Amino acid sequence: MKLKIDGNYYEGNSGETLMELAKRNNINIPNLCHKKGFEGQGRCRLCMVEVKEGKKTKIVSSCVFPIKDGIEVSTNSDNILKMRKNIILLLLLRTPNNDYVKALANEYNVVPPKRYLDINLKEDCILCGLCVKACEMIGTNAISLVNRGTTKKVSTPYDDASKDCIGCGACADVCPTDAISLKDENGKRIIWNKTFDLVSCSRCGKHYTTKEAINYVNDKFNLQEETICEDCKRKLIGEKFKESYQNIY
Amino acid sequence: MSNDNESRKKILVCCGTGCIANNSYDVYLKFKDKLKDTEISVEPLIKATGCNGLCEKGPVVKIMPDEISYFKVSVNDVDEIVEKTIINGETIEKLLYFDTNEKKRIRFHKDATFYKHQHKIALRNIGEIDPLSIEDYTEREGYEALKKVLFQMKPEEVIKEIELSELRGRGGAGFPTGSKWRTCSRYDNFPKYVVCNGDEGDPGAFMDRSVMEGDPNTVIEGMVICGYAIDSHRGFLYIRDEYELARKNMQMAIDNARKNGYLGNNILNSGFDFDLEIVRGGGAFVCGESSALMASIEGNVGEPRAKYIRSVEKGLWNQPTVLNNVETWANIPPIILHGSNWFKTIGIEKNSGTKVFSLVGKVKNTGLVEVPMGTKLSTLVFDIGGGIIKDRPFKAVQTGGPSGGCIPKEHLDISLDFDSLSNIGSMMGSGGVIVMDDTTCMVDLARYYMEFLSEESCGKCTTCREGINTMLKILTNITEGKGELDDLDLLINLGETITDASLCGLGKTAPNPVLTTIQYFKDEYIDHIVNKKCTAGVCKNLTSYYIEKDICIGCGLCKRKCPADAIQGTAKEPHFINMEKCVKCGTCYNLCPTGAIKIGGAK
Repeated sequence: MKLKIDGNYYEGNSGETLMELAKRNNINIPNLCHKKGFEGQGRCRLCMVEVKEGKKTKIVSSCVFPIKDGIEVSTNSDNILKMRKNIILLLLLRTPNNDYVKALANEYNVVPPKRYLDINLKEDCILCGLCVKACEMIGTNAISLVNRGTTKKVSTPYDDASKDCIGCGACADVCPTDAISLKDENGKRIIWNKTFDLVSCSRCGKHYTTKEAINYVNDKFNLQEETICEDCKRKLIGEKFKESYQNIY
Repeated sequence: MSNDNESRKKILVCCGTGCIANNSYDVYLKFKDKLKDTEISVEPLIKATGCNGLCEKGPVVKIMPDEISYFKVSVNDVDEIVEKTIINGETIEKLLYFDTNEKKRIRFHKDATFYKHQHKIALRNIGEIDPLSIEDYTEREGYEALKKVLFQMKPEEVIKEIELSELRGRGGAGFPTGSKWRTCSRYDNFPKYVVCNGDEGDPGAFMDRSVMEGDPNTVIEGMVICGYAIDSHRGFLYIRDEYELARKNMQMAIDNARKNGYLGNNILNSGFDFDLEIVRGGGAFVCGESSALMASIEGNVGEPRAKYIRSVEKGLWNQPTVLNNVETWANIPPIILHGSNWFKTIGIEKNSGTKVFSLVGKVKNTGLVEVPMGTKLSTLVFDIGGGIIKDRPFKAVQTGGPSGGCIPKEHLDISLDFDSLSNIGSMMGSGGVIVMDDTTCMVDLARYYMEFLSEESCGKCTTCREGINTMLKILTNITEGKGELDDLDLLINLGETITDASLCGLGKTAPNPVLTTIQYFKDEYIDHIVNKKCTAGVCKNLTSYYIEKDICIGCGLCKRKCPADAIQGTAKEPHFINMEKCVKCGTCYNLCPTGAIKIGGAK
């Protein structure tokens, strides 16, 4: 199917979301709660765009909007820009000290009304939900979004150390605003109120993940992998490639 | 019904939630007990009926066929009623309804102005039948529509009839019910589901609760008919956690319907199967939103999803689903039985039928009211509602609950229908009507709704969660006297973004109370911000009281009643208020017989 985005025509696949199509074609639609490989969530609202379908114009979130043939999309109309600035403003009021959000506010020239900006706020989480999705996809389901309204947050059940958490750190890895505290110190990892023993890489000796994470992966895929860190794994694969190519030539 | 039955005396004691709270169940028991011991030859039939509508005047007791209605009946009145009315056929004047419009007592409640303008379709059985008796329901045409559908109509004809009736969903948005059923019926994807939204959560709204409590079978009948029309065999009733009696009555009705062959396998030997189950809501307002409701039934967190693919295509467990609210379901059996042409004679074009409103706030008569669509707002407030309590000046009406808007005096003659209301920035919503007089502060009202919604927003999307919270902060500032003029621009600016960019209906409509109060009552905002004055005397930081010397007659009433000893003065001389001591409770203001006490701004 064919559709128009900001005046140019693009070819799209049925079932694709607008965000996927835009990313494929390097069209920049700002977003915080979307990540490749993750299902769209429609939480952060930063990816709102205008869609003209026939005579009707509506405002949709591109990360969950399934594309349709013949629609016309505008990603930067005045209305959309105003909306985007307001959304960034709202995020800034929530997380006034977060570098990522501050940079975003800078980029869009968002000037917060001083009277409503509480510079002492220590919040970093924008509730994009990516961490929860990542935990779900790994299959551990140790954290989730709890409560509602202004008290909504990401947490483990009853804020206690979760028996399901394997300390893999995927949540912290996908977090766009660095809001999840993950501390690796003296061979220990502390995350979500739980302390894990870190495992050393059998090659370089570097601490790289937790025992629980390794066991989880091995159990799930029925593997007996060597304890080896990402860097060494890459090196090892490189060496194997080198060897096999040397044998060919 | 036999003649013998018709002449038998019936005592109908309302046992809806409002009346039960006022002890009606004890009244009912006392009647039962009392009449067991008497030697009256006719044994009165006592029924626990659903809500009569005039909740404020409960408990309500009706004596049939004499057509006498007694209000505010207490256990102590039972002896007198039995002796005078049941045995001797006398009416007890003091228990009769006082019609504030006619200024006289009325023997039978249906003759009161409150009822005269009403037209009951959805509430046709409420207060007339025992909700737990399926026989009562069938005596009043109950399940006749289902028989007609199963044995005389094809599914296609059922959908056509609903389409022709132009019935629109009574839950708020007013989407045409027939076209919803039609779209769902076209998907060849099974199973399909039928869902009833009984998660009524708007402050001051209780029409769905009354239907579920007072006439549960009509909801069941409507849902089975839809199941037949769209080829679905399973339905869910999502009932909010707080509605215990509604759940109980619905469950009993479901069990009885199953026993009597109206639910379950092979309904009435027609070969059609359909069954229902109740899902108890978890207490979140947002679960009244259809996609959040479905997520909740599935056992997930009650968060809405973007509805670019509608639930008629992918609803419950991603299967085609028809969701309607309680009142909509209650309209289905009469439409099928009496035809779309009959239905369209009621109401106005494109808004056929009736709408149930829960009329609350500063009106003399509060309660449930069912009127034809297109009835004027003024009829609702002044004729049915009897006008404002103490005949104070009318200020505004909030329709549609927290998602609705405030309607000022200029629009009192507006027609109550989906389109007219949304044209002026409000909405029908589920039908809550809150009437306000001059003692309501519009800024504080907007603040109240933002506070409610900030707690009830599911928190999924940024605009609703953070936007409402920020609006609440701004409004709180204004009510505390810390507002600045550019706050108004910020409120409007944020309000527009929340409306445009929020994920679900709750967020999209959340700014309505703020935007409409700014639109219609901007002076009041300016008064708060610039003059630091709350003319309604609600925002305590912006209120002071003083006594107008020339009007005060020195009666001393205010002085005696002041809880803070803040009023001084000698008898027959003008009094004055010591502002140091005054706690701004407003007692003197409300009591003063000459209106000498005035409201000033911040001091």
